[in-house]
Amino acid sequence: MHIPDGILPTAVCLGGYATAGAATWYSLRKINQSENPREGIPRASLLTAAFLVASWVHIPVPPASVHLLLNGLLGAVLGFYAFPAILIGLFFQAVMFQHGGLTTLGINATIIGVSAILAHLVFQIRKLFGPDNRTATGIFGFLAGASGIALAAVAVFALLVTTIPANIDVEAERTAIGILTIAHIPLMLLEGVFTALVVLFLIRVKPELLEGK
Amino acid sequence: MKKYFAFLVVICLLVAWPVAAAYAHGVDITYGSTSAIQLTAKYDTGEPVSEGDVVIYAPNEPATPWSTGKSDENGSFTFTPDPALQGTWDVQVRKAGHGGMVHIPVEGSAVQSVSTGFTTAQVVIMSASVIWGLVGTALYFSRRKS
Repeated sequence: MHIPDGILPTAVCLGGYATAGAATWYSLRKINQSENPREGIPRASLLTAAFLVASWVHIPVPPASVHLLLNGLLGAVLGFYAFPAILIGLFFQAVMFQHGGLTTLGINATIIGVSAILAHLVFQIRKLFGPDNRTATGIFGFLAGASGIALAAVAVFALLVTTIPANIDVEAERTAIGILTIAHIPLMLLEGVFTALVVLFLIRVKPELLEGK
Repeated sequence: MKKYFAFLVVICLLVAWPVAAAYAHGVDITYGSTSAIQLTAKYDTGEPVSEGDVVIYAPNEPATPWSTGKSDENGSFTFTPDPALQGTWDVQVRKAGHGGMVHIPVEGSAVQSVSTGFTTAQVVIMSASVIWGLVGTALYFSRRKS
């Protein structure tokens, strides 16, 4: 899910930085418009730590191997704080673990962060079903977690397939990218269930922690 | 007579020359040692990048691939750099949008063994520091106002 250095053409990397910059600006503006912008920082900070280490949890899906991403969870719990949180998490993953890369930080932040914000919007739909509807919270928590992965996987697939350089085996690379994308379906379900469990837990013990509650 | 003989010799040489070249029975094999570079690509899970696309860039042409190939099922690939091209050879191994690049300095006949990445201990210490920083940030912003 993290695209490393040297895979994408320079123009795409620069475009990624432009979109990530715009998304950061928009997220920070949204955060600033909230009543108390500092209020969300502790949970954003803690979930950044969770996001940072989540990528170490590898799940073997033969023949590929995928890792946890948690962008749907961040989106559901943090709302617009998810974007800066993911940007910071990705930066540390790139410089410390060589997971992703600095040239592709913009494009990775755009893909993973914007998916998180869309997952947040999915999670907000639960409010249509009444303020304390646990079933709706569980269902939309699942959908938020699953859609975070699904959107990011589809975006990565589209980006990689359209930028395969001609000097490598294009057909084999396309197949390998397809297999890897399909391998994200179990992860999608897993993160959906995990996100549903987390939001149901939060709504029981500390409902004010859920964004937009 | 002497003139005829010389003419005959010339004719024979002209006819025999291409025949001799084409049907030579001696095979001359020369040999010498050269230094090849073997690289192994693994994912951060430790699994080898099997059948990964390998793209090699020579020091004088950093943008155009010098050669391409595929790693074997153990993620290994061996190539012999042109000794005339001194400098840093860049080799990229990629598969399904995942991959990395290694920079191999070739100076004279010596090739230094290089490896990318940190040791596990370094990664654990770095992660712990950053997590502590993030937890600290959370504690700072959630402290009670006095």
